[in-house]
Amino acid sequence: MGNILLEALNVRVVGSGEKILVLAHGFGTDQSAWQKILPFFVPYYRVILYDLVCAGSVNPDYFDFQRYTTLDAYVDDLFNILDALGVDRCAYVGHSVSAMIGILAAIKRPDLFSKLILIGASPRFLNDRDYHGGFEQGEIEKVFTAMEANYAAWVQGFAPLSVGADVPTAVREFSRTLFNMRPDISLYVARTVFNSDLRGFLGLVKVPCCIIQTSRDVSVPESVANYLKDHLGGRTTVEMLDTEGHLPHLSAPALLAPKLRRALSR
Amino acid sequence: MPTPVSAARQCLTEEAARALDDAVAVARRRGHAQTTSLHAVSALLTLPSSALRDACGRARSSAYSPRLQFRALELSVGVSLDRLPSSKNLEEPPVSNSLMAAIKRSQANQRRHPESFHLHQIHNQQQTASLLKVELKHFILSILDDPIVSRVLGEAGFRSCDIKLAIVHPPVTQASRFSRTRCPPIFLCNLTDSDPGHRSFNFPFSGYEDGDENCRRIGEVLVRKSGKSPLLIGVCATEALRGFIEGVQRGKASLLPAELTGLTVICIDNDISEFVVEGGTKEKMDSKFNEVGRMAEQCSGPGIALSFGELRTLVSDGVSGDRMSFVVSQLKSLLELHSGKLWLIGAAGTYETYFKFLARFPTIEKDWNLHLLPITSSKASIEGLYSKSSLLGSFVPFGGFFPASSNFKNPLSGINQFFSRCHSCNEKCELEVASILKAGSTISVADQHSGHLPSWLQTAEVDTGKGVNSPKNAILNSVQTIDDETRNVKILGLQKKWNEICQRLQHSQPNHKVNIPQAASQVASVEGFRPSADRKESSGEDSSLIETRSEFPSPHIPTNSQTNVPSKQNKFVEISSDAEKVNCQSGLSVKVSKSWQTEIGSPCFPPYANVNLPSDRASSSSVTSVTTDLGLGTIYASTCKAPKSPNLQYHKEQSQYFSGSFSAEFDTVSKSSSQKLVQSSLCSASSFRGQHDPGDLKSLRSVLREKVGWQDEAICTISQAVCRSKSGGGRLRGSNLRGDIWLTFLGPDRIGKKRIALALAEILYGSKESFISINLGSQETGCQTNSIFEHDELDGYDVKFRGKTVTDYLAGELSRKPRSVVFLENVDRADFPAQKSLLQAIHTGKFPDSRGREISINNIIFVTTSTVGKGDKLRQPEKDRLKFSEETVLAAKRCQLQMSIGCVDTDVNHNRGMNVRIAARGPSNPSSVKRRKLLETLDSTNQTFEMAKPAQKPSRSFLDLNLPVEEIEENIDCGDCDSDSSSDSSETLLEDFLVEVDEKVVLKPFNFDALAEKLVEEINLRFKRTFGSEVVLEIEYKVMVQILAAAWLSDWKRVVEDWVEQVLCKVFAEAKQKYHLTSPCVMRLDAFGDLAAEEQTVGVCLPARIILN
Repeated sequence: MGNILLEALNVRVVGSGEKILVLAHGFGTDQSAWQKILPFFVPYYRVILYDLVCAGSVNPDYFDFQRYTTLDAYVDDLFNILDALGVDRCAYVGHSVSAMIGILAAIKRPDLFSKLILIGASPRFLNDRDYHGGFEQGEIEKVFTAMEANYAAWVQGFAPLSVGADVPTAVREFSRTLFNMRPDISLYVARTVFNSDLRGFLGLVKVPCCIIQTSRDVSVPESVANYLKDHLGGRTTVEMLDTEGHLPHLSAPALLAPKLRRALSR
Repeated sequence: MPTPVSAARQCLTEEAARALDDAVAVARRRGHAQTTSLHAVSALLTLPSSALRDACGRARSSAYSPRLQFRALELSVGVSLDRLPSSKNLEEPPVSNSLMAAIKRSQANQRRHPESFHLHQIHNQQQTASLLKVELKHFILSILDDPIVSRVLGEAGFRSCDIKLAIVHPPVTQASRFSRTRCPPIFLCNLTDSDPGHRSFNFPFSGYEDGDENCRRIGEVLVRKSGKSPLLIGVCATEALRGFIEGVQRGKASLLPAELTGLTVICIDNDISEFVVEGGTKEKMDSKFNEVGRMAEQCSGPGIALSFGELRTLVSDGVSGDRMSFVVSQLKSLLELHSGKLWLIGAAGTYETYFKFLARFPTIEKDWNLHLLPITSSKASIEGLYSKSSLLGSFVPFGGFFPASSNFKNPLSGINQFFSRCHSCNEKCELEVASILKAGSTISVADQHSGHLPSWLQTAEVDTGKGVNSPKNAILNSVQTIDDETRNVKILGLQKKWNEICQRLQHSQPNHKVNIPQAASQVASVEGFRPSADRKESSGEDSSLIETRSEFPSPHIPTNSQTNVPSKQNKFVEISSDAEKVNCQSGLSVKVSKSWQTEIGSPCFPPYANVNLPSDRASSSSVTSVTTDLGLGTIYASTCKAPKSPNLQYHKEQSQYFSGSFSAEFDTVSKSSSQKLVQSSLCSASSFRGQHDPGDLKSLRSVLREKVGWQDEAICTISQAVCRSKSGGGRLRGSNLRGDIWLTFLGPDRIGKKRIALALAEILYGSKESFISINLGSQETGCQTNSIFEHDELDGYDVKFRGKTVTDYLAGELSRKPRSVVFLENVDRADFPAQKSLLQAIHTGKFPDSRGREISINNIIFVTTSTVGKGDKLRQPEKDRLKFSEETVLAAKRCQLQMSIGCVDTDVNHNRGMNVRIAARGPSNPSSVKRRKLLETLDSTNQTFEMAKPAQKPSRSFLDLNLPVEEIEENIDCGDCDSDSSSDSSETLLEDFLVEVDEKVVLKPFNFDALAEKLVEEINLRFKRTFGSEVVLEIEYKVMVQILAAAWLSDWKRVVEDWVEQVLCKVFAEAKQKYHLTSPCVMRLDAFGDLAAEEQTVGVCLPARIILN
């Protein structure tokens, strides 16, 4: 029945390479976010694409509000997919929430991953005593209230902010996928993400990581990238991307793809 | 066309079909010609236990009595039905379009939310009907969307959205929105299980009600056979541990897996901390351990979880090693004794704590049988989630799109429905819908759509006809941008709009039948892509733009242009004006028309314009498409300008020839079909090629030489290659000659290459506008800030802000400028998709973009450059000797200059009248730390060159951005560092590519040293004239580099000399006045901050004024 899971999460395997690459999208997008990145890797990798259960392209009935209370459930989904496909080792590219998922997954099954590439990753989005995550609890509550009040309006405002760079196509694409998410699911996932705190166990990650950080990201301050670099247990590098926004794979694919390739080949 | 009732019934489940039958009965009774949504509403309301009535009852406003309001509703429905025209009695009034549309909509909805999808999966062996049957609820929901229905409901004081919500929301009797006890969806993890009945989780679903994921996970670890002891780790770990202990102690059975009911938790964290931190007695600790041991022995339940609490207490600074190891070993022996009955459990706030512990007790993981359990969030915060998650009510507009909860419908019918839907069909449906929703998530999305388009789109497509791709894409695109809620409505609107557009298109088609294939070759290359380019700019919902776009696809409807061309010539003129009008009305964006103008205005068009025909005839010939007409004015402008242009000569020759052949053709045009035109234009095209003769070669060469004087040999080769290709020696495609030329410039001299290419564009296509420049290597190196070479016209492709790939950018540019020179720098570093596209282009003569659409490159000259290759060998040995290498000059920055007076240097040596020298600034230059200084004397002039040479970098296989920026910058133009380590395959691709090109040209390095010498001498002369021989001028190395770069970039030769004469001499004079220098001293010319654009001298990247300090 593994194929039902693969079907439900729209798992797609493309490409002709031997090595396996997983592209995992972040909050508010679905696998289509990788569309412009994909051609760069198809000749060299078997690329696995899937949708997180919260994505708008997945039947919302699969989103179980009691199962997906923490990121662990998403990690289980990832493992299930990889197991169903018979993958025993892969490189993993995760954006935003998927970066968190990747970190968790790499702790639980380090042998499965040869490399983690984390785009717009953050171990914790909220500020703490001596940690700057970028968001204050109060701010985030306001965001949640705004999401509840009028999701459409929130999307309209949030998408350009998040994309950052002035790329209308990217904004439109992100708005679309964001809006595709059922509002309650979207809010629920956002809460899950903002409640998560991975700082306590970053050191347990032994897989080599590459953090890709854009020069200005509304969701992830630059200090976070350095925090990750300092705390992740494996060999970790930070790649700065000379563009703005939280979604470089949408807004600057031509810039990101070569970076990814280099990071992967190392 | 109304749909027969039987056909509509097929789309419905039994229950819904019954409702439809009732509606049909109502229509028949009233003698209406069609069954509409109103009839359906009427029928639904009359049923005593109808779902609609029920929903209305719950949705009604409390201001009126229910009876009154229902009465009002029945009345308003009745009145509306009365208004419908009645006709002869039909046995079964067919289903109206609007009602059918509602059914279709609900079908789509249902596809999107196949509730109990899993059920269907499980029973998929029963595959019968292939059609998706609409359930009653979805049927009702869609009917409520009908504007007539909502109006009628509104008249009765109901709001259809309220009713929809009421239908979606089950009656309040259901406990919670999120508990799905009646029809629990099978969780994904279970789906992977081979047996659907068996659940891989050890937890019954009821166990979830507490929602504490953490406890569940702890339980999961405990229950494993290996008897692992969970060590919670994470910021919230302590909290999670506390939550777990409390939960177990309070006896929440649901918290734990069934195997573990009756688990006892003993906390010894206090005892431990007392013992290790506060110095409690060993005996006390011992007795505690014994007690635990006894309990474990006597334990009847599944076992004991022994909590040692926060790990931090064990590793805190004040703890003595003995006591710690005592605790650890005691716990270890306890575990060994009572294996299977006893678990340890603990928490660590950070991994550092754990690592510290691990460092003290390296074997602890095995000894304690630890299992690390990362805890991402605490239970408290999760509970917060729940309190807020009943927000659904606020999303009224989405009501119809939520998966409806299952209790509304008769469970039996629901199951039936899923029995009847076959697996493969369902899959297909899902795929189809998903692909619409996904908006081009796959590259082949357009193909997919053409494959299985939803029926409504299919009709739209048929309407637009002729397989015109772009409108369809436009529809899809707009569809994609439209949100779920309004999608259906908007799509319908769009469809209507497209029908209109299409009608208009067909109406105005005569305009486009005038297509002269020659021009069409250009137009054709545009049409496919123009919409796509536009599409990116305009939002899909912008109807006016969509309409504008529709003007473009029409010219290329192929059959038309060939079969029925209007033969009367005067008609042409009329049409052209028509076309013009149409164009103006459609509100073409200025940009579009402008690009056309420039293109048409290019001197290469004179062949058409110089035909010396009466203007109206000329126009008729070139009114091949709407847009050409727009550009007419410019054509004449360019002819007027022609005498001034240096390359007039051969143009004239060409046009002379052309005028002959063209006017001959022209008669043919006016009389015969375009089929003939193809031939004649072809023959003229070939003769056009023949026209390029030695005369052209000479003129081409001389113009090029004027622009880039130092690359003489290369220019010879290039001009020969261009002329050869133009004169028919080019590549063949099938039996036809191809017009695209491929050149590759190898070796150094980046600016020289660019200027040759730019000059080619100017000579062959008449303007700098037909020059497309892309640096394929720029993505890897990143852009330097404030570099001299960071120039708009030098770097047309700004990789940072476009959000598209190189391929798409180039494709867009190509379609915008179908006659141009494409300059691709660093082709060896192109990314894979770009390489693939280029290879395909060179093979087939068509450039594919990332979606696979192809653009003709028939009139494109591709100039690719690469720093690798033959040039490298030439350059390498010289590299070390050079004072100013190309890399250094390329790294030049725009700086403001400053003149200051320095202290007298003791080692100032006046060498044979050279008072000017170039010096590196010492420590103040941060990058010079990495440089090793060289002191060299140039024999020829005896100047002192204090050189700062960038340290030779070991060639790295990658570019590490963690290193300081400086080093990366220095890397930028080193051809020797291959930045892509996985370039094996790309190299083979490149080799293929290089074999295919028409000509490979190796350029010589630019001799910066000679130029520097010359300039220094010049400056020296001026300086001495002002200050005499006592004063020495020291020019900073950086400044010299900037001056050299400016000279390299400048358009004409003497620009830098002029600058020296005007700007530098002025500052010399000022300095002399200011300082009244008498004794020997040193003047310095230093870089001083960034140079703003307005401070520059015209035409050079050098300051117009030098600051005197």
